[in-house]
Amino acid sequence: MAGRSGAGRLLVLIALGALGVAYLFPFAWMLSTSLKPTPELYTQPPTFWPVHPSLDAYQTALIGARHWVLLRNSLGACLATVVLALILALMIAYPLTRLGVPAWFRRGLLSWLLSLRFLPSMVVVIPIFATVRTVGLYDRLTALVLIYTAFSLPFAVWMLKGFLAEVPQEVEEAALVDGAGRWRAFFQILLPMLSPGLLAAAVITFALSWSEFLYALILTATPRSQTFSIAVWSFVTEFEIIWNQMAAVGVISALVPVGLLLLARRYVISALTFGAVREKA
Amino acid sequence: MLFLLAVVVYPMGYAIGLSLQYYRVGGFAGLHNFAFAFQDRLLGASVRATLLYVLIAVGVEVLLGLGLAVAVHRTIRSAAGRTLAYLLFIVPMVTPPVAAGVIFRLMYIPEYGILNVLLHALGYQGRPILWMSSPSMAMFSVISVDVWQWMPFVFLVLFAGLQAVPLDVVEAAAVDGAGGWARFREIDLPYLRPLLLLVVTFRVTDALRVFDHVQVLTMGGPGAATEFLSLYLYKIAFKFSNLNYASALALYVVIVVSIVFAVVNRYLSEEMA
Repeated sequence: MAGRSGAGRLLVLIALGALGVAYLFPFAWMLSTSLKPTPELYTQPPTFWPVHPSLDAYQTALIGARHWVLLRNSLGACLATVVLALILALMIAYPLTRLGVPAWFRRGLLSWLLSLRFLPSMVVVIPIFATVRTVGLYDRLTALVLIYTAFSLPFAVWMLKGFLAEVPQEVEEAALVDGAGRWRAFFQILLPMLSPGLLAAAVITFALSWSEFLYALILTATPRSQTFSIAVWSFVTEFEIIWNQMAAVGVISALVPVGLLLLARRYVISALTFGAVREKA
Repeated sequence: MLFLLAVVVYPMGYAIGLSLQYYRVGGFAGLHNFAFAFQDRLLGASVRATLLYVLIAVGVEVLLGLGLAVAVHRTIRSAAGRTLAYLLFIVPMVTPPVAAGVIFRLMYIPEYGILNVLLHALGYQGRPILWMSSPSMAMFSVISVDVWQWMPFVFLVLFAGLQAVPLDVVEAAAVDGAGGWARFREIDLPYLRPLLLLVVTFRVTDALRVFDHVQVLTMGGPGAATEFLSLYLYKIAFKFSNLNYASALALYVVIVVSIVFAVVNRYLSEEMA
């Protein structure tokens, strides 16, 4: 940049680097703790590279404490949520963009959906709790799936709306002219073109439901329906905290969304920042 | 649509119903629960703690994020460097808050947590700092997690906004002899204004309902130093089982959030138009 000295630039770069390290360090520390055998947790001064790295903590936490059941619950619930949410979101987004819906209706619906994003979950959690208990879904994964679907819908609709707008309408019209029905045009032409958008929406829906904690805490009571967030939390509330096991479940819990993010980062970054960032990677 | 209605609108009606009844004995209570909120000292403390939390956390996030966005925008030019910055800072954002709580709990252990050890190595001689069990430090600890997770959001959005600043304007300013600060104040900031507003709205509404990492880190303690509104509501509703009073409080929150949303929504659509 004109007028900016090389030394100043270097200083800023060093500061940025330091901030970057500071940002990653907490992660590295959790990973390192999870790989330590129990005695090494208490050595003074603490070691950064575990002297005797082992996976004991993972094994005890998942198999010994039977937290793999919760891991399975979480995976199941999140997958079901993704499928349900995407189907419903398509059912909302497609007519909004493709069938001549009046503009006032479209705008009203979309901003209503957006406003749900701002609704504190604390507000609805009590009536939802009461309702779920009345209909007999308390401590059932079904309840969580339905709730997660409802709360990821606004996001999914907004994303899919954006992706749908990018697929030129002419493509479908051409198919219609060629004698394909609306259904065939939808499934054979539009859906394949939409797959990146669907993938991005799926990743985000999955990650959001995976991270969810409050509803899981309130609506579940036993391993039959508890999710992995609860497993993470349960380590914290124990009288004597076993740090390496707690770190191990923390690592697993963080690894899933971070891994998904790295897989689909191109679309996900754009979605997480509400389209503000368009990475050209 | 019917599905959304069932999951969102019906519960709202249910909450209103609950809030108008007496706790345990039932029966129509009128606005009793709503009036009681004004005598509730613990609620007052909780509201103050929440406001303090939101103010500091969002303030720090916005200032840091803005500074970082400008710094990266001006010093890192290569695409690879920028992608690295994206990835580095987006990782905390997708970390489940519960896991973030765990991460920071590990670092804040007083006796052998890495933070106190580092401080000691740097020459700090006093007693180990009680990151989670002294009221003011607990507030600091809880806020630091929020900043760690969400400053990147501010950074990413504002950084993207900076890319939209037309280059010829910047060059014209440079010709006129504008320095780095003047360039920031006169050019970057006006361009970023709508995005700043958007980001602040998101962060404030999210910080107001903070729950997960606080529950993991301090559980609202010590005492009630970090018992934010959501934790207080949780306690009343599910520890004391007073769903009626909790519903009334929740409805207060809805009213406040709706007003904020309406104001911001109007302002935003004007700015964007």
